[in-house]
Amino acid sequence: MRTVASRPPARPRERSPRISPSEQARFTLALAGGKAAGTASRVLRFGGGTSFPGTVALRIDPRFLQKAAAASDARKVVVTGSNGKTTTCRMLAALAHAGGLMVTQNRTGSNLLQGVTSAVMRGIDLRGRMDTQLLLLEVDEATLRSVTPEVRPDTFLVTNIFRDQLDRFGELYSMARWLEAVIEALPASATVVLNGDDPLVASLAPGAPARRLYFGIRADGAGSQVPEHAADTIRCVRCQHLLSYRVVHLSHLGDYQCPGCGNARPGLDVAVTAVRPLSDAGSEITVETPAGTFQLHVPLAGLHNVYNAAAALAGGMALSLPRSLEPAEARQAISGLRPAFGRLEEIRAGERQVVLAFVKNPTSYNATLREILPRPGPKHVLAVHSNTVVDGEDFAWLWDVELEQLVPELASLVISGTRADEVALRFKYAGARPAVTQVLPDRTAALDAALTGTPPGEPLYILAGYTPMRELRSIMQRRGWVPPSWKE
Amino acid sequence: MTPAPPTVRICYLYPRLLSVAGDRGNLFALMQRCAWRGIRYSVTEADVGVVPDFAESDLILLHGGQDREMTAAARDLAAKAGPLREAIEADAVVLTVCAGYQLLGQYYAPPDGPVIQGLGVLDAVTEGGPTRFIGHVAAECDLGSGRQHQLTGFENHSGRTYLGSGAQPLGRVLAGAGNNGEDGTEGARYREVYATYLHGPVLPKNPWLADHLLSRALARRYPDFGPLAPLADGVEAQAHAAAFRLARRPAGRWRAAAAAVSRIGQPLRAPATADGNAKIEAKETRWTSR
Repeated sequence: MRTVASRPPARPRERSPRISPSEQARFTLALAGGKAAGTASRVLRFGGGTSFPGTVALRIDPRFLQKAAAASDARKVVVTGSNGKTTTCRMLAALAHAGGLMVTQNRTGSNLLQGVTSAVMRGIDLRGRMDTQLLLLEVDEATLRSVTPEVRPDTFLVTNIFRDQLDRFGELYSMARWLEAVIEALPASATVVLNGDDPLVASLAPGAPARRLYFGIRADGAGSQVPEHAADTIRCVRCQHLLSYRVVHLSHLGDYQCPGCGNARPGLDVAVTAVRPLSDAGSEITVETPAGTFQLHVPLAGLHNVYNAAAALAGGMALSLPRSLEPAEARQAISGLRPAFGRLEEIRAGERQVVLAFVKNPTSYNATLREILPRPGPKHVLAVHSNTVVDGEDFAWLWDVELEQLVPELASLVISGTRADEVALRFKYAGARPAVTQVLPDRTAALDAALTGTPPGEPLYILAGYTPMRELRSIMQRRGWVPPSWKE
Repeated sequence: MTPAPPTVRICYLYPRLLSVAGDRGNLFALMQRCAWRGIRYSVTEADVGVVPDFAESDLILLHGGQDREMTAAARDLAAKAGPLREAIEADAVVLTVCAGYQLLGQYYAPPDGPVIQGLGVLDAVTEGGPTRFIGHVAAECDLGSGRQHQLTGFENHSGRTYLGSGAQPLGRVLAGAGNNGEDGTEGARYREVYATYLHGPVLPKNPWLADHLLSRALARRYPDFGPLAPLADGVEAQAHAAAFRLARRPAGRWRAAAAAVSRIGQPLRAPATADGNAKIEAKETRWTSR
C-alpha cells in the first residue's frame, strides 16, 4: 500500500454539473423524506432501516443516488461478484479505517438499489454533505447496471462469478457482459480489481482503459487438481477448449491454462503465497503485494475467506490511503473481524448453540458444508429457503449441492421456508430418512422444533437463504440472542 | 443357471459440460427410484471425447447448458451421432432437457453467432429470441395411454423451438411459455425420446415421468418385467403441487393467455425490447408472492 500512497492523492475531479434549483429542492426533499423514513422504521421497529429509507428517497427523487454521489468528494468503491461481497467489504473497510479513512458502507448485505441508496443516505447530513472519505458499496450483480453509472466508482472490484440465481440473471455469460459494460465505461483514472484465479473474471473487458489489479492464490498446498461438480467456468472463455488446471483452489478458481490458445491466469499483483489453516477455523496467510509482504491472520474459516482477504488487500492498494499501512496494522485490522451476520455466525440461543450460515448458490453451500462436515458430532440441521425477489424463484441449484455428504451425518433435520417443499424433495433424494425429518414452513415453529431436537451442548446448524436468514435472525433478536443487524 | 437380475443401464452424457441448472437431479431421481424398488442400475458417464456403447444403454440423459457449452457439446456430439441415432431408432429411452433438446433437433440459430447443427433426430428447429423465458411452467401431457399427467418445472431459455410434423409435443402448456411462447406446445416426443425445456429438475418433481422412463427402459430389455412397484410419493406430490401453483400465478397465466390469443391468428407478442433483460426486471417486480 505504500507504493500506492505515493501516487498523487489529489486527483483532478470533474466537478458535478450544476443542478437546477428545482432539482436541488427535489433532492433535499428526498433526503429529508428518506431520513425521516429511516428514523420512523427504527423507532417503530419494523426493520433495521436498511432499504426502506432508500425506497422513500427514490420515490421522491429517482436521481437521488446520482446527485448524492456527485456532490461528494469521497472515494467510491463498488464491490460485486457472486460470493464474498459482504465479507470482502468488511475487510476492506477495516483496512481503510486502519489507513485513516472514515467509511460509509452498506454493511448489512442490502445490496439492491434501495439498500445502496439507504447506505449513501446514512453517510450524508441533511444538507447533502458526506463527511466520510470512503463510500464503500457492495452491489448485487443485477443492480450493478443501474447503480454504477450513478455512483461512478474510482475502484471497481469483482470477487468471482459463480452460477447464482440464473432465474434472475439469465446466463452466467449475460452477467459477464453486464460486468464488461461497467468496466469498459470506467475512466482511465479508475482501477478495476479482479480475481485472477477466476478465468471468467480475469478476462473481463481486456481492452478497457482502467488500470487492472489481479489478486489470487499462488500457494501450492491448498487445493486439488480437478474442479468440483458445481464448477462453472471450466472452458476457456476465448476458444472454448477445456481448461487445464495446475491447481484448483475452489470450484473453478485456481491456476489455469488453456491448452488450446495459451490463455492463462494473469500475473498476480496481490498473491497469497502460503495458507496455514488454524485450529480456531481461521487461517494464517502470507500475501505478497507490490507494497511488501503481509502476514495476515484471517479469523474466518475456509479458503473462500482467504480469497476475500486477498481481494480486500488488493482493493486497499487501489485506494490511495492518506497514510501507508504497516503490515502490523493490516494484520490487526483483519484479525479483529467477526463473521458477518449469517456467515457461520455462532449464536448462543439460551441453553443451546446455533451456527447460522447463509447459503445462496452451490458454491456458497458447498463451501459451508466443507466447514461444517469436519466438525465433530452428529449434525442437527435447519434448512430454510423461500422464494422472494432477493432469493429468486428457481431452486434447481439445490441439486448441484453435495447434500449427499451431509445426509449420513444428520441426527435431526427440520425444513422450512415458503419453498420447504423443494428443499424436502432435495433432501429426500439425497437420502434423508423420514424418521429424522420434519417439514414446518413457518419459521418460528421450525426454529423451535429444531432447537428442541438439538440436545444442549450440540450445535444447531441453520442453512438458510437470504430472506429466511434475516427472518430467523430477527426472531432470535427479539429473544435477545443476537444484537440487531444494523448495530453490527 | 438363474438369469441376471434386471438392471437399468443409464448413460449420462456430458455430466460436466451440460449441467447448468441442477439437471443431475434427473439422474438422482432415476437411481433412487430404482434403489427404493430393489432394481439394479448402472451409470456410465460420457463426457467430451468418449463414445459410450449406446447399444448397451437403456436410458440416455442429455441435459441443458448455456450457449458456449452447447457449442462445444454440438461439436463433440457429431462424433457420437451415428451410434446414438441407431440407439434411438432401436427405441432406447432418452430424456433430454433444454440445450440437449435443441441439439437433438435440426439446428439452433442463436441470436448472435453461427448456427449450431443438431442431430436431426427430432423434427424441430430452434431460433434464438430477443428475450428469455424464465419462470415456472405447468403443462398437461398424454403419453398415448389416454391418461392425462400434469408436468411442472422451471424454464430458462431464449431459444424458440418449433416442431415439424415428425415430432409430437410432450405436452400442452397451461402456464408459462414452453417451446416458443406462441403455439402452446411444450417439449417433444419421438419414439422413446422425451424432450423438454423444463429444469427443476424435471424428474424428481414429476415422478410419474421418471417411472414412465424406467418402465419403458425395462420393458424394452426385459419384456416380462411387470409394472413398477408403487412408491410413497408424498414429498414429490407436495413439491409438484407447489410448483404447479407457482406456475399458475397471474404472471404465468397471463403469458399463456397471450400465447393463446396469438394462436387464434392475432399475433400478440410481448413488446420487443432492445435489451432482453428489461423483461426479466419487469418480472422481478411481480415476484413478490410468498
